[in-house]
Amino acid sequence: MVEVGVKIALSLTQIAVVMGVVLLTVMFLTLAERKVLGWMQDRMGPMEVGPYGVLQPVADGLKLFFKEDIVPAGANKFLFSMAPILALVPALIGFAVIPFGPDMTVEVFGVQFKPFVITDINVGILYILAFTSIGAYGIILGGWASNSKYSLLGGLRSAAQVISYELNVGLAIVGVLLLAGSLSLVKITEAQTGWFWNWFIFAPPFPQIFAFVVYIISAVAETNRLPFDLPEAESELVAGFFTEYSGMRFAFFFLAEYANMILVSCIAAALFLGGWNAPAPFLQFHGSLAHLLWLSGTIWFAVKVYFFLFLFFWLRATLPRLRYDQLMRFGWKVMLPIALGNILITSIAAYLFPRS
Amino acid sequence: MKFKNWIKTIIFYEILVGMKATLKHLLHYRPITLQYPHEKRSLPDSYRGMLSLLRYDDGTEKCVGCDLCEAACPSRVIKVISAEVPGEPTKRYAKEYYMDMTRCLFCGLCVDACPVDALGMTREYEWAVYDKRQLYLNKEQLLAIGDRAFPVREKRLELQHPNVAFFNVAFTHLPPKSS
Repeated sequence: MVEVGVKIALSLTQIAVVMGVVLLTVMFLTLAERKVLGWMQDRMGPMEVGPYGVLQPVADGLKLFFKEDIVPAGANKFLFSMAPILALVPALIGFAVIPFGPDMTVEVFGVQFKPFVITDINVGILYILAFTSIGAYGIILGGWASNSKYSLLGGLRSAAQVISYELNVGLAIVGVLLLAGSLSLVKITEAQTGWFWNWFIFAPPFPQIFAFVVYIISAVAETNRLPFDLPEAESELVAGFFTEYSGMRFAFFFLAEYANMILVSCIAAALFLGGWNAPAPFLQFHGSLAHLLWLSGTIWFAVKVYFFLFLFFWLRATLPRLRYDQLMRFGWKVMLPIALGNILITSIAAYLFPRS
Repeated sequence: MKFKNWIKTIIFYEILVGMKATLKHLLHYRPITLQYPHEKRSLPDSYRGMLSLLRYDDGTEKCVGCDLCEAACPSRVIKVISAEVPGEPTKRYAKEYYMDMTRCLFCGLCVDACPVDALGMTREYEWAVYDKRQLYLNKEQLLAIGDRAFPVREKRLELQHPNVAFFNVAFTHLPPKSS
């Protein structure tokens, strides 16, 4: 009985910590995005709230919290309220299987406890793919329930885009899964220990660099970021699927977008760049400091994730928005064949030169 | 050549060039933004800002109520009601003087038209108000703007130089002729 209690308490603490870190990162990202975009465009970004605008996320949050909550006339009220939750929950729930640090076990009050992964289920990556697909429902239902043509168009675009690019994400991952021989993110990360050429982006027998590029492009498209932000193309569709949303519901969509960004960055780091593994073994704490391995591991993981997040901002500052037919053609006629060819070659290579 | 183009396509060469450009701007961060309310842009010398009415150094108004500014104004900003100076039948002044600054386009034609340099363009530009009726300025307000914008005032025309042409002057102020 005590054991179950301790287990539940530990899990809840872990979940609370991960949620807290993710939401804090989202807060930080909203500021970082505006700052980085500003710097890249010879502007300053937010400068008014606090020194150099560092308190801007707090001000934004407070503003959204106190805004009037409007439900447009003729909207389906139930779905209108459900949609933001449907968008946010799948984005946050995916973090349950991400390994943030080394796969170590700690014993707390006689309970075996893994501090750096909430749950290591053996179909981790499938679980994430399944839940990110549910996120598309939030977007399309939000667009439909708003009773507005812009929202509906944004929702439809988003649904078509998420479905077609999710296919590419799934197929790009298959190569890694073939090499790792597991669907669990913890096992995939552990298969990449050692030097950086063991990371699946460079890994013998067949480097997954093509899969990596396909995954990154598809991930940008799947999270509806520029240059693939057609669902919320502000020059065509006002704000796309959240045109009619205000206050906290808008904030939920916003959080979902940024949480999705962090999630796809975490997956990219774990699958292709070796997760918490350092580029070289001596860059981790080792030898007498081996008990601090978790510290350097989490730092390396954070570095990789932030590199991807920076890449998102960088792409946004650089590229203009695609046209819709270009987007679809690129997804189905370019990305999909590359991903399929990658699977074929990887499977042949993995059969001929099996990883020991 | 074809092969080179093909290589450029598959490594997203154009996108990489663009990303290099944005990264260069990030690393050599030199913003062109001015934090406006905290720091202000330096104005050009010939800046034409808010209009004002001026005074001579003894505090009398320069305006002689000739209505030329009203005639010169292309957008009918100015309204002058001219009158005789009480007790001095040869001398006129602007009894009332209104400017509707909502319509003013700051062309400076009234300043050019004024024969006694009674109008001046200040370098003020922060004239946003909540009620646009506050931009319908009367003579006192225009004189106040002139007072704060031009602290150095001219002498009366007749005292500036022995040969200066002047009019609309009551001759009691003149120094006695020497000959």
